[in-house]
Amino acid sequence: MSALRRLRPDWLSPSAAAAFLVTIGLLHALPHVFQLSPYDHNQITLAFIFLAAALAWNWIGGFAGQVSFGHAAMFGVGGFVAARIAQAQLVPFWLTWLVGGVAAGAYGLAWGHPTLRLRGPYFSIATIGVGEATRLVATYWQGFTGGASGLALPIDAGLKHALYWYALYFLALVAIGSYAIRNSRVGLGLMSIKSDVEAAADVGVPVVFSQDLVLFLSSAVVGVAGGIYASYFSFIEPTDMFGFDRSISFVLMAVIGGVGTVFGPALGAVVFVLLRLYLIATYPHLYLGLYGALLVLVVLFEPLGISGLIFRVARRLRAQRSAT
Amino acid sequence: MSLLRVDDVSKSFGGLRAVDHVSLELVEREILGMIGPNGAGKTTLFSVIAGSIPASSGSVFLRERRISGLPANRVVAAGVVRTHQIVRPFTNLTVLENVMVGAMFGSPESRGNPRRRAHEELSFVGLADRAEHPPLGLTLVARKRLELARALATGPRVLLLDEVMAGVNPAEGIEMTKLIRIIRDQRGISIIMIEHILAAVMSVSDRVVVLDYGKKIAQGKPAEVVRDPKVISAYLGEQSAAAKSPQRARREEEAP
Repeated sequence: MSALRRLRPDWLSPSAAAAFLVTIGLLHALPHVFQLSPYDHNQITLAFIFLAAALAWNWIGGFAGQVSFGHAAMFGVGGFVAARIAQAQLVPFWLTWLVGGVAAGAYGLAWGHPTLRLRGPYFSIATIGVGEATRLVATYWQGFTGGASGLALPIDAGLKHALYWYALYFLALVAIGSYAIRNSRVGLGLMSIKSDVEAAADVGVPVVFSQDLVLFLSSAVVGVAGGIYASYFSFIEPTDMFGFDRSISFVLMAVIGGVGTVFGPALGAVVFVLLRLYLIATYPHLYLGLYGALLVLVVLFEPLGISGLIFRVARRLRAQRSAT
Repeated sequence: MSLLRVDDVSKSFGGLRAVDHVSLELVEREILGMIGPNGAGKTTLFSVIAGSIPASSGSVFLRERRISGLPANRVVAAGVVRTHQIVRPFTNLTVLENVMVGAMFGSPESRGNPRRRAHEELSFVGLADRAEHPPLGLTLVARKRLELARALATGPRVLLLDEVMAGVNPAEGIEMTKLIRIIRDQRGISIIMIEHILAAVMSVSDRVVVLDYGKKIAQGKPAEVVRDPKVISAYLGEQSAAAKSPQRARREEEAP
């Protein structure tokens, strides 16, 4: 028992760890217990992939406060590299994701190292440029991406069903990563960088290294998400993978859920995915506009999104309890 | 042997030479006061020493190791840390976490258990009861103490204090002076302090250097420096000073 206690870092509360394990366990059992329709099964799988990507976006966008509007670039790089390797059918599918993730991480680092010295809106504008440039190159580079006609992957129906669990455990790892980063030395450094980059450097925070590291990790995870996404659809094309609305979707998930909070982006991603299904079905032409309106509302009234609302309710409940 | 040596450092911003061939030395356990009129280049010199901005020419050495040219975080790791004239707490962290940043990223030998070290530094500056508060709830003087605790948590050998007494009332200023002496006497940290409140600098400093228009115009014991005619003219702008320096005469005419 004492050995266990020593293994547990002091920031990890046992109840949080238990709640996490129970949630993962329930989600693991869900398709076994209920007879999910293939549609629901697939939608939940996709949701896992996007939840993980939103959490990873938040490492650089939320923890370090460097809001990226270009993460679709890494989603696409990861997806296409994984797809190319998968076509060769030489390595197991999980290895294609991993290689795609590393490629995406390296790509993120390549443009991030020079641009991360920009801050706030300047960095964001640079990321828009990176995202759009990457999309254009990918569209014209037919030899690698198949251009506008895209790439087809070998179809594996069994894998598509099993992706539910792969995506779930990928998400679990990313969630643990989020929690660990936020509570680590690097995480505290990032929070200080977000608040005042010069003051952070003046007390010893390695600003360049911290930001590069976390952008690499964030890019790699989003790249792996792109790889899993490619396996899931067995067909990908540049406009879908690299599209600006995909970059925006990562930002929206985090903003709706709560930028910079540990699990807020995951909540935001759930809301985003559900809302998207509903909006696309009901208002196919309006749905992006409605997201815009939602974004404005969140920023105006509750900058921490759903997490902010939860904090507010929790504070009120606590105040009531102490009053009585 | 000197602990910190500033060797012929200059810093220009375009055509403005903010620091102009300044050399100075700080010995172990010394408190060096740095005074001079507004715009004399004192804070710029601090920024150069701390690695916040690169020098245009010249070098800074800690013991015999050249620290100019290193990025700010490595200067901190080497043992030189600055505080800011306008306090800059990390507003998204608690008071304790603010100090933990210093404890986690400071000089390697001082890291240990950052939480415990942060608590110790907060007690040392008298903010122990505020550990879990947000820094924006603190009074100005408490924020100055927080800035000091965060810098001390990095385990420095040289502390650069930029106007820690500005905006603090006289009683609080006396407390701050005591604290500065304790930092030197009990912890053996050498200090350079920029200060406008002359009584405070004079009482606590072993030596004083005076900057004016980026140049070092005097240095010595506090009592000697205040009698130096160059220093008096820099502060009070005598007629002779106006004759010697057309630039100053022009600026004084423009001033209301």
